[in-house]
Amino acid sequence: MSKVKKFWENQNTFAYLLLAPSIILLVVLIGYPMVYNLIISFQDVPVNPMMPSVFVGISNYKDVLADKEFYSSVAITVGYTFVVVVLSTVLGLAAACFLNRDFKGKKLVNALIILSYVVPSVCLIFCWRYMFNNIYGIINYFVVHVFHLADSAPLWFDNPSSAFILVCLFNIWRCFPYAYMSFIAIMTSIDKSLYEAAEIDGASKWEKFKAVTFPAIKPTMVTVVSLRMIWTFYIYAEVKLLTSQVDVLGVYLYDMAFATHDFGKAAAISLILFVFIFACVMLIRKVVLKTDED
Amino acid sequence: MRTRKQKNMINKVLFYVALILILIALLFPFIMMLSVSLKSTAETIGFPPTIIPRSFTIQHYKDIFNVQIFPFVRYLKNSLYIALATSVLVVFLGILGGYALARLKFFGKSVISEVFFFVYMFSGILLIVPLYKLLASIGLRNTEEAVIICMIIQTLPTAIYMTRSFFETIPVELEEAGKVDGLSRWGVIFRIIVPLSISGLISVFVYAFMIAWNDVLFASIFIDSTENMTITIGLNSLFNTPDYIWGRMMAASLVTSLPIIIMYGISQSLIKSGRADGGVKG
Repeated sequence: MSKVKKFWENQNTFAYLLLAPSIILLVVLIGYPMVYNLIISFQDVPVNPMMPSVFVGISNYKDVLADKEFYSSVAITVGYTFVVVVLSTVLGLAAACFLNRDFKGKKLVNALIILSYVVPSVCLIFCWRYMFNNIYGIINYFVVHVFHLADSAPLWFDNPSSAFILVCLFNIWRCFPYAYMSFIAIMTSIDKSLYEAAEIDGASKWEKFKAVTFPAIKPTMVTVVSLRMIWTFYIYAEVKLLTSQVDVLGVYLYDMAFATHDFGKAAAISLILFVFIFACVMLIRKVVLKTDED
Repeated sequence: MRTRKQKNMINKVLFYVALILILIALLFPFIMMLSVSLKSTAETIGFPPTIIPRSFTIQHYKDIFNVQIFPFVRYLKNSLYIALATSVLVVFLGILGGYALARLKFFGKSVISEVFFFVYMFSGILLIVPLYKLLASIGLRNTEEAVIICMIIQTLPTAIYMTRSFFETIPVELEEAGKVDGLSRWGVIFRIIVPLSISGLISVFVYAFMIAWNDVLFASIFIDSTENMTITIGLNSLFNTPDYIWGRMMAASLVTSLPIIIMYGISQSLIKSGRADGGVKG
């Protein structure tokens, strides 16, 4: 009996027993690879797996940091991340403000809005490739023949600047439901009497947003923005499958590993990326903590 | 008084009109997908493009399920295997880990939850090189199991985070009652905690299934034979072959999306409002 009781009370052992599979998986498949990645980044890894890797010091890092493509990749990625994060958050917030009221069919509307976020990206990309097709695409038909916004159709997939716009548009459309869901969940929990009080004080809609809504959603907004920023920063599939003209860092890294087969350099790129993202996260945390104190 | 009522009425009508216009714009790609999947091949590449098909056909749906001419069913099976294996294992591990973090006091608890959150933000493409080398060296190249392993570590931190928050909502008194009735610790977890949070566990299942079903990155790294391709990379590889017909691609896309839409709908309707936003990553 006392043994049983002791087992009930010893939470340490039981907790680690429960967590053991998860911890082992994370150590073996995340922790070890992270260390391994660091080692590879100092090596020249031959394409043939039977050949031994050679230690080359920091030459992979030197090569990457001297590569013009790396910097153009960084520039494209920063621009793309900025546009997607800002516009998808704003769009999500706008949708949440617009729909934060009682109306018939609210559940259905929520489900429809979420569609572009949950459906496999590949399926959506097929559709966008069809809609933006240079010859028979419906978007160019509207742009040129219906609304006469341009004389000739933009070559969406084959021209770096229009491909950039396309990639941004696609990912804003795909990601905004995440912001919407996060915001609407918080907004429905705001006490209605706060708005009534503001109304009695004669507050306009914008003043009500500033005084009541915004303070309530601010922590959510910080989370949404920082997570979206990180995820967008190392995006791969949603860019690569849409066009070959926008070399974001994810694509640059993937191609270095699996097209050029230079694992050493690819590992160096992922470490540089890792440090950069880590710095961003720390910065965000600091800013958040500071604004929380205010 | 009357004018106020009229004003309300006008506001309502304006709201619905705006809502419908916005929904049409947002869902336009889905409308096109459906429309193209029902058009004849000639009409899909005709000009000017049509939104409502001039003639309807379900031939493309018949074609994608015809194994003689389209490898869709094979891809579907592979994806189903990967997604089911991932989500079953992740839910199980999530129950164990989530319970430990929700209920037990132990040494290093805060460090472990920090690490889980950290992994949640960072995994993905940053580890493709070492993961590829590691799994290839133990003979898992071109296997579905390699993808399953990657999908498990992709989804596990979120799964544990989700199960933890579901378990925390269950009153501790119920557990105490179970203990008094002589249930073991495992009994408490699987006879009290799990049945009470079944709707939450379904949403964890759906989350893991969705991430695995939608994955492109890891499948494209590990799988290179047509035999083992998942639906996402399989369909994408058809883009450069003669099998590539818009109607079929759109029909296949809709059929591929359907399980996710249905599962997501079910899990949303099971969960009480306000809770459902947790942990969808993408």
